[in-house]
Amino acid sequence: MNKKLMKKATGGMALLLVAMSLAACGKGSTETAEQPGTQPKQEPQSQTEGEKPKEEANGEAKISGDFEIQYFVGGYGDAWWKEMLGEFQKKYPDLKIKESAGSQINDQMKPRWIQGNPPDVVYIDGAGSNETQMVKDDQLMDITDWVKDASNVDGEKLTDNLIAPPQDYGGKNYTIPLVFGSWGTFYDEALFQEKGWEVPKDWDGFMAVSEQIKTAGIHPYIHTGKYPYYIVGGLLNSGFVSENGDNPQILKDQEAAKEGSFKNDAVANTLNKLVDMRDKGYFDNASFGISHTDSQMLFLQHKDAMIPNGLWLENEMKKDVPSGFKFGFIPSVMQKPGGKFVAIPYTSNIAIAKKAKNPEAAKAFVEFIFTKQAAVRWAELTGALMNVKADLESSSASDVVKTAMKYFNGPDTIVAPVFKLNADLEQAENDATIALLQMKITPEEWMDRMEKAAAKSR
Amino acid sequence: MIKPDKKPKGGYAARRKLFIASFLLPTFILFCIFTIYPLLRGLYLSFFDWSGGSETMNFIGVDNYKELINDEIIPKAIKNDYFLVFWKVILIMLFATFFAVSLTRLKLREHAFYRVVFFFPNIISVAVIGVLWSFIYNPHLGFLNAFLSLFTNKPVETNWLGDASLAMWSLLPPSVWAGIGFYMLLIIASILSIPSSIYEAASIDGAGQWKQFTKVTLPLIWEQFKTSVIHIVITTLNGSFIIVKLMTDGGPDNQTQVLGYYLYQMGFKQYHLSYGATIGVLILVLSIITTLILQRLLRRDPIEM
Repeated sequence: MNKKLMKKATGGMALLLVAMSLAACGKGSTETAEQPGTQPKQEPQSQTEGEKPKEEANGEAKISGDFEIQYFVGGYGDAWWKEMLGEFQKKYPDLKIKESAGSQINDQMKPRWIQGNPPDVVYIDGAGSNETQMVKDDQLMDITDWVKDASNVDGEKLTDNLIAPPQDYGGKNYTIPLVFGSWGTFYDEALFQEKGWEVPKDWDGFMAVSEQIKTAGIHPYIHTGKYPYYIVGGLLNSGFVSENGDNPQILKDQEAAKEGSFKNDAVANTLNKLVDMRDKGYFDNASFGISHTDSQMLFLQHKDAMIPNGLWLENEMKKDVPSGFKFGFIPSVMQKPGGKFVAIPYTSNIAIAKKAKNPEAAKAFVEFIFTKQAAVRWAELTGALMNVKADLESSSASDVVKTAMKYFNGPDTIVAPVFKLNADLEQAENDATIALLQMKITPEEWMDRMEKAAAKSR
Repeated sequence: MIKPDKKPKGGYAARRKLFIASFLLPTFILFCIFTIYPLLRGLYLSFFDWSGGSETMNFIGVDNYKELINDEIIPKAIKNDYFLVFWKVILIMLFATFFAVSLTRLKLREHAFYRVVFFFPNIISVAVIGVLWSFIYNPHLGFLNAFLSLFTNKPVETNWLGDASLAMWSLLPPSVWAGIGFYMLLIIASILSIPSSIYEAASIDGAGQWKQFTKVTLPLIWEQFKTSVIHIVITTLNGSFIIVKLMTDGGPDNQTQVLGYYLYQMGFKQYHLSYGATIGVLILVLSIITTLILQRLLRRDPIEM
C-alpha cells in the first residue's frame, strides 16, 4: 500500500511541476511596465480605457480624461520628458497621464499599433521606428490644417519657432520634428592646429588637406562600412545638393523615388568626386566591415583625421574622448570654392496617432513643449538641439552644438529640407555606395542600381 | 502469497492513459502554440502583403514567391548558407571527433580538465562571441593583425570582415569554435558506451590506435555521428543569422548575406514582413530537402552491439 501511495505522490508532484511551468505564461499580464508584451492580448488590460474628454460648447476644450504618450529612451535620456510631463500634469491636474517609455519601446508597443489601439502621442526615434513607414501604414493623424494655425502656450505661432518645418508628405503634414541635428564632417581642432592643417571650406581645400594628412602618415578619412548611411548622410547628400546648383530639391525628388532623381549630372559629378577620393587613397581601408563605434574609436585615437557623422557624436563618445581633443564640425565639404555650405538635417519626430483616444490632450501637449524654455532645457539635459530657434549661448549645450547652430543661423549655409528615403531605397543606396567604394561597381552602375530600386518602389 | 497475474481492472487502462496524457498534453499544447502555429501563420502571411506594422494586409497570392524567384540576392544567400554548412560540418566534426577520441581513447591524465576547456565556448553567449571576434578581426586594433604583424616587416592591416573575398571565411572560426564543444560531448558519450572488451580484443589482434578508430569506433558511433551532422546542418541554416548580424550585417554589399539574416532584414528593417515570411518558407523547404538527402547519404546498417 505504501508503494502505491508513493507512486501517486510522485505522479502528483511531477504533474504539479509541469503545471507550474504553464503558470509562468499567465502571469505576464500584470506587469507590463518592464516585460515586452509577448502576447498582444495582455497589453489592452493595463492600458487605461480612454474616456472622451468633455468639450465646452464655446470651443475651449477641457483637457481631462486619459492621455498616453510613447517615447523612446536612448542617447537623449528621459530626464527632459519626465520634467515636461511633470509640468504638463501640474497644468492639467484632471488629466491621467500614462507614460510608455524605454529603450525597446517601439517593439514593445508594436502589437498595440497593429491592433489599432495606439497611444495618443508618439515620439518616433530609436530602433524599430520609421516615421515614413508609419505614414505609409496610415497610423498618424493628418495635422496639415491644425499645425498651420497652432500656437504654443507662450502665444507664439508654433511654426514660426521651428528650425525645420513639419515634414512634407505629398503636401500633407503628419509629424513635427522635435530633435534637430545635422550630418557633417568631424575633425580634431587641436590636431589640425598642431599640424598646421587648414580646415577645408570647399572641395579643393578638402582634397588639398587630405593629401597633406596622407603624407603625414595618418589616414585622411574613415567611415563605418557596416552602416553606409553615415557616409551617404555625411558626405554624399550634401554633394548632391551642391552639384545641383545648391538646390536641395534633388533630395526631395529622391525621397519621392522620382524617375531620374538618381541618374543625372549632379549625382554623377558627386560620385566622381567620391571615386577621386577613393583612387587617391584617402579612405582608410579599415572602414569596410567596422561598426560606427569602431570607426569613432579610431578617429579619437588619431588613426584617421576626418569622419562623417552627426551632431550626437560628442555625446556618444563622451567617456572615450582623450584629453586635448576638441571636436570640430563642418556641415559639408563637397561644395565648389566660394560655394555655400549645405547642412543635411536629421530629425526625430513627434506625432499624434490617427486613432488617438484623447486628441485634444495630445494637441495640448504638443503646444506645451514647443517653447523656447523647453528648447533650452533640452539642450542642457541632452547636449543636443531641439527643433526650436532658441538662444543657446548662455546655456550649457556642448561646444560642437553651438558651432553648428552658428552655421545654421549664418548666411553661408543652406539647410536642406528634412527628408528620409524609404527603407528599400536606403538599403539599396547603402549597398551600392559600399560596392562603389570597394571598386566593385562604377558610378554608372551605381546610378542604374538606384534607378532600378526607385522604379520598384514607385 | 503469490499475486495472480494482474488483469487490467476496469479503470486501469483508462487511468494509465490519463497518466500519460497529463504529461504529454501540456507540452504538446505549448509545442502547438509556439512551434506549429507560427509555422502555419508564417505560411499564411507569405500570401499577403504586410509591412509588419499596419493594421491591414492585402492578399496578393503568389506574388511574394514570384519576387523570391527573381530576387538576385537569394542565390548569393543560399550559396553562403551552404558554404557555411559545408565547412562547419567538416571542421566541427573533425575537431569534435578528434577531441572526443583523444579524451577517451588516448588515456590522458587531465582529460576532465580538457573536457571543460573545450566545452567552454559553448557556454558563452553567441552575442559575446560575435562581439569578441569582431574585435579580434579589427584591422587596426585587433589581436589577429597585431599577432600576424610580429612576423612581417610592414604592419598587417587586412580587413578580415570588410573584404568580400575574406569575409565568409572569417565568419567560420567563431562559428566552429563555438560549436565544437557540444558535439564533442555527444561523441564522447557514444564512445564511452562502446564496451571496452571490443577495444581489448582489437589491440590483442594487433590493431593500432588509427585502425581501432576506423574499424571499431567510427562504425559503432555512426548513428551519433549522423545525428550530429544533421543537427549542425539544421542549426546553421536557421541560426547563422546571429553571427552575420553581429559581425557584418550581411555586407559589404550583400557578400555575407545568409537566408536567416535576409529574412530579418526584409521583415524588420525594410518593413516587408510578409516577404520575410516567404523567405522563411524557403528556409523550411531547403532544410527539409537537405536533411532528407543527408539521411539517405549517411545511411548505414546499424550495428547491434
